[in-house]
Amino acid sequence: MSVLDRLLGREDPHSLAAPYALDALGPGERHRFERHLARCGRCAAEVRALAEDAVRLAWSAAEPAPPGLRDRVLSAVRTTPQEPAPAAAHAPRLPPHVWGTRPPPARARRSRPRPLFVPFATATAAAALVVAALFAVQADRTRDELAVERDRAREIAHVLAAGDARAASGRDGRGGTIGVIASASEGRAVVTLRGYGEPPGERVHQLWVMRPHAQPRSLGLFDGDTPLVASDLDRAATSLAVTIEPDGGSDRPTTKPVVQLALKSVGFGE
Amino acid sequence: MEADELLLRVAGGDQRAFEDLYALVSGPVFGLVKRVVRDPAQSEEVAQEVLLELWRSAGRFDPRRGSALAWVLTLAHRRAVDRVRSARAAVDREQREALRAQAPAFDQVAEEVEAGLEREWVRRCLHRLTALQRQSVTLAYYEGYTYREVAERLSLPLGTVKTRMRDGLTRLRDCLGGAA
Repeated sequence: MSVLDRLLGREDPHSLAAPYALDALGPGERHRFERHLARCGRCAAEVRALAEDAVRLAWSAAEPAPPGLRDRVLSAVRTTPQEPAPAAAHAPRLPPHVWGTRPPPARARRSRPRPLFVPFATATAAAALVVAALFAVQADRTRDELAVERDRAREIAHVLAAGDARAASGRDGRGGTIGVIASASEGRAVVTLRGYGEPPGERVHQLWVMRPHAQPRSLGLFDGDTPLVASDLDRAATSLAVTIEPDGGSDRPTTKPVVQLALKSVGFGE
Repeated sequence: MEADELLLRVAGGDQRAFEDLYALVSGPVFGLVKRVVRDPAQSEEVAQEVLLELWRSAGRFDPRRGSALAWVLTLAHRRAVDRVRSARAAVDREQREALRAQAPAFDQVAEEVEAGLEREWVRRCLHRLTALQRQSVTLAYYEGYTYREVAERLSLPLGTVKTRMRDGLTRLRDCLGGAA
């Protein structure tokens, strides 16, 4: 246990092995514990044993899966590419759980409305959102800020002018909205986030693009309602996701996304 | 064929092996997800995501780090818990307070969980735990509560809950060792 941990009143990470095996840690603690695990051979062995115990509890819950599920899964499998196995040299010696820390993958099928990430369809509504955000930021700007604003407006106009520019938006169950206007040929997108306010504490909303066979790539940090312009987007990109990260952003997502948006309808995902 | 070998074949892109793996794990995966998520439609969604993730990510399975079934069910549990927590987070504070006022006492919930268990031997073994061990383990594993929430609901210090969880799992191992 480090001095820093003591100063911050953090607990001895060893004592978290059982809650971790039961998936009973919050996201922050889970992340910290996994970092600890990567360095602690004894803990890894202990967590593995405790996890096998927890799995015994899983067996008692087995019941037949609904009949339609098999066909849906098998037909999705036929069109879903697999991730390459991690290179052995880079594979960390971690228990299987750690695998579960990756952000949720883009959803392959949308067979029914989802309670949290409900896409709403019309491109016009999405475009209106982005444009509304553009005009919401005009007041009270210094000359420098206005210059930045103008550059951003120019980039946005560039995206809007692309022949294949398309719009999409999605919202979560709490009224937060993500809007995107994107051009696959230009590899650019304008993304707005509304209804999320400022994250609590010294934290920020960070935008990620998800691609198959790759770690999520950061597209930048949101500054309130101001649209974020992303460039160099790979045509293979499948979705956008927003997570809450410590001030300054993170190298990779450390929390579950607050909202996600599939990019297929705007011409990506090849 | 054993799950370990099937999963390794799936990692190599073998769709027939995936069908066999599906037959083997879909029931445990769906049942576990439903036990945690409760809502049947949402459970089906989460189970579908998990099963498809098995296909996509089978290459990450490393037999030296544990059994295939443990890997599969650990993944399913993680996803189910994530779903149930994000659903809970979506319930706004007022509603949560209102619900809390009406919620049955926590040991009652724990008892209901146990009453629903299909496997007699798990039930028997759970009953050989102390009440606090049993409540700590089942509230976390079957209800998706964090150990901090369990401590709050049971009015116990955090350290006590962590210890009860560890002792509970260890005692389960001792009891189920012969039966598994």
